[in-house]
Amino acid sequence: MKQQAATAGVLVAIAMAIAPLCAQAQKNARTAWGDPDISGAYAEFTTAPLERDAKFGDKEFFTPAEHEEFAKVRLTQAFDADDTEPGTQEDVHYSMGQFALSENEGVTSLNLRTSIVTQPKNGRIPPLTAAAVARRDALAATRKGKEFDGPEMRSLTERCILWPSTVAPILPRGYNSNLQIFQSPGYVIIQGEMGDPRVVPTDGRKLPDNLLPQWNGTSVGRWDGQTFVIETAGFHPQTAWRGATEKMRVTERITRLDEDTLEYAFTVTDPDTWAEPWGGVYPLTALGALLYEYACTEGNYGMANILSGARKGERETANP
Amino acid sequence: MSRILAVSVALLAACAANAQGVLTALPRAANGRPDMSGVWQALNTAHWNLEPHVSAYPVVIELGAQFAVPPGKGVVEGGTIPYLPEARAQRDQHFENRLTDDPEGKCYMGGVPRSTYMPYPFQILQNERDVVMVYQFATAFRRIFVDGKEEAPLDSWMGWSNGRWDGDTFVVEVTGLNGLTWLDRAGNYASGSAKITERYQLLGPNHLQYEATIDDSTVFSRPWTIRMPLYRLVDADPRFLEFKCEPYAEEKIYGHLRKPGTAAPVGASSQ
Amino acid sequence: MRLLTLVMAGLASMVATVGAYAHHAFATEFDVNRQITLEGKVVKVELINPHSWIHIEVMQDGKPVTWMVEGGSPNALVRRGITKNSIPIGSELVIRGYGTRDGTNKAVGRDMKFADGRELFFGGTAAPGETTGAPQ
Repeated sequence: MKQQAATAGVLVAIAMAIAPLCAQAQKNARTAWGDPDISGAYAEFTTAPLERDAKFGDKEFFTPAEHEEFAKVRLTQAFDADDTEPGTQEDVHYSMGQFALSENEGVTSLNLRTSIVTQPKNGRIPPLTAAAVARRDALAATRKGKEFDGPEMRSLTERCILWPSTVAPILPRGYNSNLQIFQSPGYVIIQGEMGDPRVVPTDGRKLPDNLLPQWNGTSVGRWDGQTFVIETAGFHPQTAWRGATEKMRVTERITRLDEDTLEYAFTVTDPDTWAEPWGGVYPLTALGALLYEYACTEGNYGMANILSGARKGERETANP
Repeated sequence: MSRILAVSVALLAACAANAQGVLTALPRAANGRPDMSGVWQALNTAHWNLEPHVSAYPVVIELGAQFAVPPGKGVVEGGTIPYLPEARAQRDQHFENRLTDDPEGKCYMGGVPRSTYMPYPFQILQNERDVVMVYQFATAFRRIFVDGKEEAPLDSWMGWSNGRWDGDTFVVEVTGLNGLTWLDRAGNYASGSAKITERYQLLGPNHLQYEATIDDSTVFSRPWTIRMPLYRLVDADPRFLEFKCEPYAEEKIYGHLRKPGTAAPVGASSQ
Repeated sequence: MRLLTLVMAGLASMVATVGAYAHHAFATEFDVNRQITLEGKVVKVELINPHSWIHIEVMQDGKPVTWMVEGGSPNALVRRGITKNSIPIGSELVIRGYGTRDGTNKAVGRDMKFADGRELFFGGTAAPGETTGAPQ
């Protein structure tokens, strides 16, 4: 009896000694070739909104009690679309709920932050520079009255060219708000579900000065301890992420926090668009499911319908 | 003396082990499997026509010699594709209408196996769980589940791929294709019932042999196989540039719905 | 630390971001004044992106006419157990929606159900909000 108790005691002691090592091992999980393992499919949804409600000022974190209240509202907000009146414009849409389309696919990590944006200190994206406002207004002016002339007048998403939220920096978006990361020696691939795969070398090479513009920019990466750091530049002028120019530069920093969570931090710099660099951080949570193909242009009946609808409207106006 | 013997034995063993007679050891991944990682491209006319073909006029005559179809010996084992009679007629109709109907012209993903031998590079990334392929054309992406057993829940353009190692050959079974892609610019095609079995075998550090067997009894009288070498891009930085072709296909797809009197934008940067 | 959020029964518990991502062009694509109700048999199901399309054959003036009806991206549904066979060909559906502005037999499906009243997708399989834990 005493012998068994002693043995049990030893086993418990060993288990207790091993447990933190196991947790540590998961956090320090490595690929077969020795790089930190950040691979997997992740949900981007987090309770922190992109920008901080102005009423919170410079308050970066909720207390656990405050967060519980705040999260409850975020997690139980009803779909606007569920409450629409037949015969109104809002009602002219398929049901998002029927297709389980939500930023929140039922998976998230505890995040006590009041916003994703942490820089500047007020948690809000800096205002556009005068130059950026002028660009935006000039573009709107060239399109005024011509919004449905041809496919080139429509948004990048309607044209199935690009979902801006899948370009660096990747941010949570309306639905299919997930990304996946694959690793192989020398490369990391990061891909938003509705975006293009970005193949990022890990050898720490510098970004060349004379980059050819690409819709997704060009990315290079390096390991900084447990953190994968990606630098992206060389954007296509029409990518215009949140109104930015082709000179926008983005830094992403991805770190595994535990078995289920990565930390995704980013900064954005474009002096022609924002007077100061800005950035933020949010958790990526293991989705527990697969991402599926998003072949957009292949199934884009909508573009044809939009244009034919516009043409019919013009014919009716000409011949009432 | 024994050291020389040992080295000789090792060299002979390496010779014997490599059936293709290439006297270079294969690069291997951390788990011992041949490492197919890298950027690859086919160098043949399979993308024009899988079958043997003579040269031909360009589909738009004004394009002249630049876009004429070069001749090709074909990549089909046995020469021609064993179509069922009605299916061959369908293929011939595809060919007649290729200018409007070829999905490639609309920037649609090339599917499998066409994406492998389109005249654009693709990159293979490999680890123990997955082999991932990223294609330059239409930024197509494919995940191959190593030792995967699940079935496709949904049809897709690039299909559902389960792969396994058979010795030093990577065998991939592709199902769940939607039947909307073609196999080449000549209108050769398979339906959504097709099962494609690919075999990737590294012949040496810079050559990857590619085989694909197409099994589709609704279109063909028997399964048939294509075979070709793929060549590694050996530049210091072989990463390819992005080729998002969607804007270039817009006029082709939607031009007939444009507002009368307006013109499509042209040039490297539309608008 | 991972917090699995328990999504309540019914669909009211998802965060609404429709406003931010609403199709600005929906007013041009579909006609708010062209309200339609379709009752018919499924002839084709396209669970595709950017939008799904369900093709149903209805009787109009005694003749069979095929309509195609727009739904949403299927990716989240597939994570919850829906497959290409979830809406069998030949199923009877009832659809309320809005026809395209161009006057053709296309519509967006605001409410779509099986004719016997069952929900189109979760009539017995995975509940909305919970993924099925398929292999990663």
